Amino acid sequence: MHDLIRDLRDQNVLLIHPRDRSADELLQQVNRIGCSFDHMWPVPHALPDKFDMVFVDVTDQSASKLKSFFDKREKRATIITIIGYENPSVLDIILEIGAHAVLTKPVRAAGVLSSMLMARRFQSEQERFSKDLTKLREKLENVQKVNDAKFILMRHRGITEREAYHLIRKQAMAKRTTTTEIAQSIINAESILSNMGDS
Amino acid sequence: MTRTESWKIGLLFSTSGVTSIIEQSQLNGALLAIDQINAKGGIRGLPLEAVSYDPGSIVPRYGELAERLIVEDKVSVIFGCYMSSSRKEVLPVVERRNALFFYPTLYEGFEYSPNVIYGGACPNQNSVPLANYLMSAFGHRIFFVGSNYIYPYESNRVMRNVLRQGGGEVVGERYFDLTTCAEDFTDVVKEIMEVRPDAIFSTIVGQSCIEFYRAYHAAGGDGRICPIASLTTNEGEISAIGADAAVGHITAAPYFRSINSVANRRFLKAYEQKFGSTIDVTSCCEAAYSQVHLFAAALEETGEMDTDCLREALLGEAFDAPQGQIKIDPENNHTYLQSRIAMVNGEGEFVIDLKVRRAIKPDPYLVYPAIHDWSFRTQKVSGGGGHHA
Repeated sequence: MHDLIRDLRDQNVLLIHPRDRSADELLQQVNRIGCSFDHMWPVPHALPDKFDMVFVDVTDQSASKLKSFFDKREKRATIITIIGYENPSVLDIILEIGAHAVLTKPVRAAGVLSSMLMARRFQSEQERFSKDLTKLREKLENVQKVNDAKFILMRHRGITEREAYHLIRKQAMAKRTTTTEIAQSIINAESILSNMGDS
Repeated sequence: MTRTESWKIGLLFSTSGVTSIIEQSQLNGALLAIDQINAKGGIRGLPLEAVSYDPGSIVPRYGELAERLIVEDKVSVIFGCYMSSSRKEVLPVVERRNALFFYPTLYEGFEYSPNVIYGGACPNQNSVPLANYLMSAFGHRIFFVGSNYIYPYESNRVMRNVLRQGGGEVVGERYFDLTTCAEDFTDVVKEIMEVRPDAIFSTIVGQSCIEFYRAYHAAGGDGRICPIASLTTNEGEISAIGADAAVGHITAAPYFRSINSVANRRFLKAYEQKFGSTIDVTSCCEAAYSQVHLFAAALEETGEMDTDCLREALLGEAFDAPQGQIKIDPENNHTYLQSRIAMVNGEGEFVIDLKVRRAIKPDPYLVYPAIHDWSFRTQKVSGGGGHHA
């Protein structure tokens, strides 16, 4: 059993929607599914921290306002939009605010559970990918730095790449710091030295 | 104008094909309730009139006949279906036509339609008590067998979760087509004899259920030592299996024919008068019977067959059913039901061993039932004479 299915009842759900039949259908289904939920209308000033998932009616809403509403909060919410029309300007809003799933009016009970699940998955994957991407970028930069520093040492000392790397590591261990820090120092020193030569 | 002479309702139960034993008993339950209501003068002075079709246990026929009931026979209230696959055929039809559909059968949950009233148990109402019972009375190693469709898969998923919470273990899992006959069960029965589980959890339904119990008995399987436990095997099937092969086996259900109560004795007496015997009275039969009565009370209140009005009247409605009091949960259109565990005795009759203290709230969207939920606490049924007596 996938964790997302098992943990669905732990979700705190907010519905931002005028109180009409679609809203009632949706709230009742969220209640049946077993999540705690709240209703707000119009769009509140800020999104309270406790909500993990937000259903939002985007009819007659400004995309930029909705986007800043969601972006303001540091912890990202799972966003499911409710739309009345499937025309390009409405679809544009969905993409603009970064919705994770869509329900169309009139909302039917069947399909809500799957939408919640797919939105959760999409959102959690997005989060994971962006974290991974940041980590990879950092790592790549570090590798690049160490490489640059190695070449500087090889040139100055006339040693092999392996010897240059060992030198950097030895320094890092002696100074209780990372190889990246040492590499950065070497690169800085090299640039100061070469600038001196120019002047 | 027939409209002014009677209230027409549709009945969609198979009297032929693989699930006909159980569906015939559901049909009888509905017909008995209709008779009782009409004998008391009908509803607002007009009798109920049943329009009944036999889908022959063929899944797509249920949808076609539901369409015919609504379009040609001008019926807007239908009672019917046993298998989930047949309900799924009827569902889009009643939603499109805004008809009201009563489903008097236990099923796997995870569904809600404003056009359906669910009268049978969902897994939280019967799986948890059964899992507890099996592990305390027999042991922790359970073998799963099931028919090859959605109900057994989902039912087994729930059972596996509940067993694991209690330290139980699934030692085998096999699925079979609905048309499987006795000799096709030879291999799995052999496997069971080798694995020697503490109990078998069976979600095999229809005719093949009977074949499976017989095959188990023929291979030397004894229910008193290692029982087959089920949520579906009922009085009708036990009588077809025969007392010798059925003894010791266990079923969890809201209703058993052997319930000792005034309401049940009255129900059985009326059933016997109409059909000659109570041999095929089952929990699904009782559910169909109770759902017709719930509907009739709602119609008495509304005085019109309008789906939205009837639904409003039905939600929250209670009925003193043969199983005890039941109530339609206004939150999800399912039904608060009793939960009992019974064992087949030497005469081929279910003897109720345990029951929960009060009707259990239906929770059709429960992914993980908790084994220690207080609402599942059971009590001994006095004079039951069962395993725990």
